[in-house]
Amino acid sequence: MNFKKVLACVLAGTMVFSMGAVMTAGAASEEDNKLTVWTWDPNFNIYAINKAAEIYAQDHEGFTVEVTEIQSDDIESKITTAVNAGDLSTLPDIFLMQDNSFQKYTTFYPDVFTDLTESGIDFSQFSEAKVAYSTLEGVNYGVPFDNGAVVNCVRTDLLEQAGFTVDDFTDITWSDYMEKAKVVLEKTGLPLLTAQAGSPDMIMMMLQSCGASLFNEDGTGNIAGNEVLKQCVNNYAQMVADGTLVEVTDWDQYISSLNSSTVVSTFNGCWIMASIQAAEDQSGKWAITNMPRLDDVENASNYSNNGGSSWAICSNCQHVDLAVDFLNSTFAGSTALYDDVISKGALATWAPAGESDAYNVPVDFYGGDTVYAKIVDFATKTPSNATGAFYYDARDAVGVALSNITQTGADVDAELEAAQETLDFSMGV
Amino acid sequence: MGKKKFTMEKRHNLTGWVFLSFGVILICWTSFYPMIQAFILSLQSGLGVNLKFGGFSNYARILKDPTFKGTLFNTFFYLIIQVPIMLTLALILASILNNKDLKFKGLWRTCIFLPCATSLVSYSMIFRSLFANDGLINTFLRNLGMNPVMWFANAWTARFVIILALIWRWTGYNMVFYLSGLQNIDYSVYEAARIDGANARQTLFKITIPLLKPTILLTTITSTNGTLQLFDESLNLTNGGPGKSTMTMSHYIYNTSFVQSPNFGYAAAMSIVILVMVAILAILQMKVGDER
Repeated sequence: MNFKKVLACVLAGTMVFSMGAVMTAGAASEEDNKLTVWTWDPNFNIYAINKAAEIYAQDHEGFTVEVTEIQSDDIESKITTAVNAGDLSTLPDIFLMQDNSFQKYTTFYPDVFTDLTESGIDFSQFSEAKVAYSTLEGVNYGVPFDNGAVVNCVRTDLLEQAGFTVDDFTDITWSDYMEKAKVVLEKTGLPLLTAQAGSPDMIMMMLQSCGASLFNEDGTGNIAGNEVLKQCVNNYAQMVADGTLVEVTDWDQYISSLNSSTVVSTFNGCWIMASIQAAEDQSGKWAITNMPRLDDVENASNYSNNGGSSWAICSNCQHVDLAVDFLNSTFAGSTALYDDVISKGALATWAPAGESDAYNVPVDFYGGDTVYAKIVDFATKTPSNATGAFYYDARDAVGVALSNITQTGADVDAELEAAQETLDFSMGV
Repeated sequence: MGKKKFTMEKRHNLTGWVFLSFGVILICWTSFYPMIQAFILSLQSGLGVNLKFGGFSNYARILKDPTFKGTLFNTFFYLIIQVPIMLTLALILASILNNKDLKFKGLWRTCIFLPCATSLVSYSMIFRSLFANDGLINTFLRNLGMNPVMWFANAWTARFVIILALIWRWTGYNMVFYLSGLQNIDYSVYEAARIDGANARQTLFKITIPLLKPTILLTTITSTNGTLQLFDESLNLTNGGPGKSTMTMSHYIYNTSFVQSPNFGYAAAMSIVILVMVAILAILQMKVGDER
């Protein structure tokens, strides 16, 4: 009797369910050809995904993407909220994620991601270091997108006033760099660098330039007694004290310092070029070179990385095959796409794109230099370093130490010790 | 006879309860139920979705957390400095605006209340740009021949900016309560006092404040409550900086959940602690304010 009841319920349920399936399949052929995407920056990522959709739609009639502009940290908060609410239906089919966040989210929320290891995407065509960001325990969760190779953007006209050329800032060491910064300040009255106060971006770039990081290979924190880190922090603090590095309150002021000729140079991930190029009246006055390397550190180089991101397919995606095929035939298979988005400074990490002619085009904004080929070259020379799920906790702790050191003159060793304790506290749950 | 059992009084009572029930159900569902859930969550430890029952380990963790102590200090600093200044200012403004002979009363009232109509995020961002290194305030200082101040580079000046912003945003709000309280005080009381030769100070301390006591109590409790949960200003105005020296408790809870590696159990435990603090302070204030 009971068994029959259960069986009846199951059968009825199945019928309702399959009816629903038939109805949705019939009514939503348009829906079947549409993917929802979350990403940020209209001039960069949003432009790229729309371009990719345009290219994909040439062979797949009626294909569209519905892009929502959401800042990267908001995407992350929304994912966290959705998972904790146990309802992934609010998430899009595809979202972009910062490379530095990938380990954190794949570790703590693996259920959000679709496993792409066996999806048919050829990950060997991407640079190994880049794929590593979105790989956890041998499983691929992301399709690599742009590169964050560090470029040192300098104002050649302002350097000239100080008696320098861009060559004087190429392949140099930090001690040399800091001395020249003082000359620039003296001659032009302008700082060589601006930075967002409390943000340890510059420290992180300096660390990676010698393959060092805030973590040991076994994943434990490496802040207290980290001699390379100490040198980075000291250099930064010294430049602030010299007046050659001016700290500004927020990101907007940092960007406006670049566009308003109140700073002579900046080094950052190559995506910064999109913001620099926004000041069209400064065309021809900028040049690109590599960043300074740390003195007397083993493996020190003039190359580093900051930022960059990868596409992920949400586990809630209803059209996984379509999403995989879309990414596979565009971001992992279209030189036409990368040739187009290079104009925005979106540099491919997909090897076949780097061989394209588009990378050898001279760019007038940077005095006719073939800057893209240069950046590809920088990218291949960038050392990789250990990160992990606790990247942002470590970064935050170092940021606090850095503020205390530059603004209150606190003792470097003691502050790094405190930062290590903060990180250990976060990790020791 | 059967109908008589349902007396008028009972029927009135029942009607009252029916009206109340909707509110009660809503409060239980949207407020008390999440609180219980939060308490259960606070007993779990782990990161992300890997939660397991940990007893009171999160509460023990709070005691060992220097960052929490720092944010606790900041929050109470804002509370102790800002709330008295704001409420005094609100009372003074309300007394001025309550003056019968004042012209353009509506205009003044609107002007003072207007900050409350701005969103918390936008006014925070406006204050940030006002006090930026090359912002309006520093431009004024330069033009006056003074040295510009790097407001957000120093913990104390940054805290000062937050307090200033809070006063700007909330004084008008509290003033409205006082104004409505003042209007309930019959003008003849003041007239009588004046005939008896009372001066302005005496009328304030002997008439206005005693008669306004319930309103003052209410504003003190809501302001205390609001300050302990301060979040928007800390996040948008200073982003907790420099370092974590202006971060409030709620901001730290948010960071623990969404910015750092997600530790919701610990975040829930901290919010329960705030709840207890708010409750204790409210009880204290009611004891002090109630002289019956």
